[in-house]
Amino acid sequence: MAQVSAAPTTGAAGRGAFRGFFRELTRSKTGFAGFVIVALIVGMSALAPIFVDGKMPTDLDAIWGPPRAGHWLGTDMAGKDTLKQIVLGGQTVVFVGFLAAAITTVIAVVVGSLAAYIRGRFDNFMLQLTDIVMTVPQIVLLAVLGAFFSLDSPIYLALIIGCLTWPVLMRSIRAQALSLKEREFVEAAKLLDLGTTRVVFGEIVPNMASYILINFIIAVTNAIYALVGLYVLGLAPLAGANWGIMINNAWIGGAMFLPAAMPYILAPIAMIALLQLGLIMLTRSLEEILNPRLRDK
Amino acid sequence: MPTTDPPETDGPILSVRDLHVAYKTGDGKSVEAVRGVDFDLYPNQSLALVGESGCGKTTLGLGLLRLLPKLGSVPKGSITFNGRGSAVDVLALRKQELRKWRWRDAAMVFQGAMNSFNPVLRIIDQMADTIRAHPDGERKPSKKEIWERSADLLRSVRLEPNRVLPSYPHELSGGMRQRVLIAMSLLLDPKLLILDEPTTALDILTQRAIVDVLHELRAERKFAMVFISHDLAIAAELADRVATMYAGRIIETGTARDIFYGPRHPYTVGLIKAVPPVVGDLPELASIPGAPPSLSNLPEGCSFAPRCDYAEDRCTAADPELNPITERSAGTTHAAACLRWQDVRYERKVVERV
Amino acid sequence: MATVSPSAVTAKADGGGRSILRRIWRSYVLRRILRAIFIVWVVATGVFFLVRLLPGNPVDVYINTQIGQYGMTYDAAAAQAAALFSFDPGTPLWQQYLDYLGGIVRGDFGMSILSPGTSVTEKIATHLPWTLFSVGIALIISVTLGLLLGMAMAYRRGGILDHTISTIGSTLHAIPNYLLALMIVVFGAVQMGIINYGQIRGKLSPGIQPEFSLRFLQDAFYHASLPILTYVLTTVGTWALVMKSSTTQVLGEDYVMVARARGLTDGRIRTSYVGRNAILPLVAQIATQAGFVVGGAIFVEKVFRYEGIGITLFDSVQSRDYPVIQGVLLIVTVTVVAANLLSDLAYSVLDPRIRTEEKEA
Repeated sequence: MAQVSAAPTTGAAGRGAFRGFFRELTRSKTGFAGFVIVALIVGMSALAPIFVDGKMPTDLDAIWGPPRAGHWLGTDMAGKDTLKQIVLGGQTVVFVGFLAAAITTVIAVVVGSLAAYIRGRFDNFMLQLTDIVMTVPQIVLLAVLGAFFSLDSPIYLALIIGCLTWPVLMRSIRAQALSLKEREFVEAAKLLDLGTTRVVFGEIVPNMASYILINFIIAVTNAIYALVGLYVLGLAPLAGANWGIMINNAWIGGAMFLPAAMPYILAPIAMIALLQLGLIMLTRSLEEILNPRLRDK
Repeated sequence: MPTTDPPETDGPILSVRDLHVAYKTGDGKSVEAVRGVDFDLYPNQSLALVGESGCGKTTLGLGLLRLLPKLGSVPKGSITFNGRGSAVDVLALRKQELRKWRWRDAAMVFQGAMNSFNPVLRIIDQMADTIRAHPDGERKPSKKEIWERSADLLRSVRLEPNRVLPSYPHELSGGMRQRVLIAMSLLLDPKLLILDEPTTALDILTQRAIVDVLHELRAERKFAMVFISHDLAIAAELADRVATMYAGRIIETGTARDIFYGPRHPYTVGLIKAVPPVVGDLPELASIPGAPPSLSNLPEGCSFAPRCDYAEDRCTAADPELNPITERSAGTTHAAACLRWQDVRYERKVVERV
Repeated sequence: MATVSPSAVTAKADGGGRSILRRIWRSYVLRRILRAIFIVWVVATGVFFLVRLLPGNPVDVYINTQIGQYGMTYDAAAAQAAALFSFDPGTPLWQQYLDYLGGIVRGDFGMSILSPGTSVTEKIATHLPWTLFSVGIALIISVTLGLLLGMAMAYRRGGILDHTISTIGSTLHAIPNYLLALMIVVFGAVQMGIINYGQIRGKLSPGIQPEFSLRFLQDAFYHASLPILTYVLTTVGTWALVMKSSTTQVLGEDYVMVARARGLTDGRIRTSYVGRNAILPLVAQIATQAGFVVGGAIFVEKVFRYEGIGITLFDSVQSRDYPVIQGVLLIVTVTVVAANLLSDLAYSVLDPRIRTEEKEA
């Protein structure tokens, strides 16, 4: 009988699969485009603070100035450069989005795969719980929680968002784990008496790696949706200048109705929409790679 | 076995001439699944189309009613139907005429009754749909008439109307569904019935019931039948005539007795030899070595030549036409598409029991 | 073997208590209703936990503020709090919980802190109908439109309609719905001037009273048009794509080919054979989408100043008006649960297979 050595094989297969996976990604036009978009935006948000200084002098003579040299996107209600705000404004959004998604994914993977493997009462309880949490609209829940807990730091924000959005993810992870559970390598691991933790986290989870990746990216889109929503609602801390805050400022300050304020309003919206679009394109082509039947050709 | 007396009639009810059916493949090319089929079917006659999977028999069946999928087409050939007095060129029927012609003149019972019914409608509603789609002149049939007619047919397939008609398809077993399909196909009293593997995927007792039902129905209603199957035993029971297909062509045709007792094409011989009888001495079993050719890459000349024991050089020169062996009337001529048909012998040596 | 009786719900039961219980358990309808009530109860308990049991909870804070700022005694402060919330903080905890639950059943959610003198129920009653009105109409329009588009796309796969709607739908999907609402205001009102924002915001023009008149209806629709437009734009893409994929799948089913073979008219096939089967996944999804749209209402109403339950929630969150927050959260939950229930029931009516499964369970 063949040896059961999941870790090393997964490792070797993993590396080879990763390279092949990358090749597939570049073959799909949408996938590649999505990847580039996301990489650019994330890169800009992460690296900009290093190269671009945070000084944003107010210039009261240049309130709502039009796009011109030196201020490619014009200036805002306090004369500050819009483009700079855009470039520096992605930090919080990207950081909180990815962190919240990471939290969500970890919770969903742990709970989902354990529920799928153990079944029984734990599984039933978890299903009931997710049903109930999924019933209440996410934003409403977030808004309410925002009223009860003050959301000052980005990490706190990420925590709250992460802890609220895992139910949906948990269901798909659980479904995937259920199907993997029936495979031979799991049987073999069980026979070797490896113990629940090792079977679930050593065998099942690594084999779902790409599936988990896709769900992680979807979680990022959800987290960004929730986060920007909180900013637009004015429930998240409004200090500083990120894309969400810019939108909120524009709304509150009545900037919506000034034609001159167009770049200031549209730029953050465009950035958020682009980021979401890029992420969605990525997920779609990743899904196609993993499930060739989805390919329309 | 059913009678092989030629039926009293003037002409065939279905005439197929040089029929070709092609499918578009992904890369712009097309492949012919049926490559020139000719036959005449006479009223009240039953013809079994026999062959392995992929030989084109299902495609032929679908083609007869023009039920091919979007990628399918008929590049050549003609289908003439002669059921109600005048000849109908089936391939030339326009949409509305085709719709009216279908089911009323020729009906089809499909493979796998599992999914042949609309899951959200009751059986009686689906019967009603069928009847209402083919109104008799201006009069609309009443609910009572529809029920009566459907109940009548259900009884003729040995089903209890009060039980079946108000049910949903998922509430019936596979065998029941198949019988309902048969009943539904006879709703409009067609003169031609095509059955595609009606007994596959059913247990042996249900198969028996269906075969019996088909016997009774034929005796009662006298329709012609085209019967597609890879089950030789069923074919032997139900068919007056048998035609074997290989790689999209009919390679032997004749009465059931001709085919089962005196086949003249090496492929037919191989088919029959591969089936052990249920009773009696155990003869040698032989499977035909090799596999059917890919339709996009057919061998030169006779498509069976690469697997044939009797093959010679001249077999790869040209694809043989059906050579008549015993001429008879009403389509029951025994013919085989083999250049060496005279040498072909069907012998079954009994295995010695120790 | 399954029975022939077409009755959707239960088999006839003989008398006796135990078989009544069994009948309830078997009845699909009743089970779903019980489950819905259960979910609402869980959420209510969760809210109670937040409002009363968590350290630093609003009730305690309120009491402490009253004591600290105004020098009240604990009892006096508790009495004031009792007037605001639907339970009395002076009583033992379990009694507060029962009072709270009792209040919910009676429709008593306490008094609003922000608008003194107004009960939470009053506030909800004046605002909720508007949200239901706009969201309901939007859902109907969106589903119908999506349905028709989806079927057309499936019938003409690969055609122009298919590609355009798919691309537009996918792009729109990426933009969060609140941003789309903002863009509509920006472009429609500001840039293109077609929409007179000053006039159209709010739920009614000044001076118009709710009554059964055409003038009232016209005005209500005029004001609801932008919110409805936003809801429709953000959801129609999803419906169309879902319907397209399910129609495509149904078109490939055997029974559609058999229906054609039977000589049924195209129209009949499209409605009763393809349509009725393709619509099932859509109905199943209405439940999930309902929650999403209701959640989106909070933004959309804010942008258009449409005085529905969304704005109520928003204002109450801003001002920490806890009784109102509590009430709105519960009402929203009840609404979504009710929508889920309706859609489940609709599904069981449309798909006879579910009914049998449940019957034989």
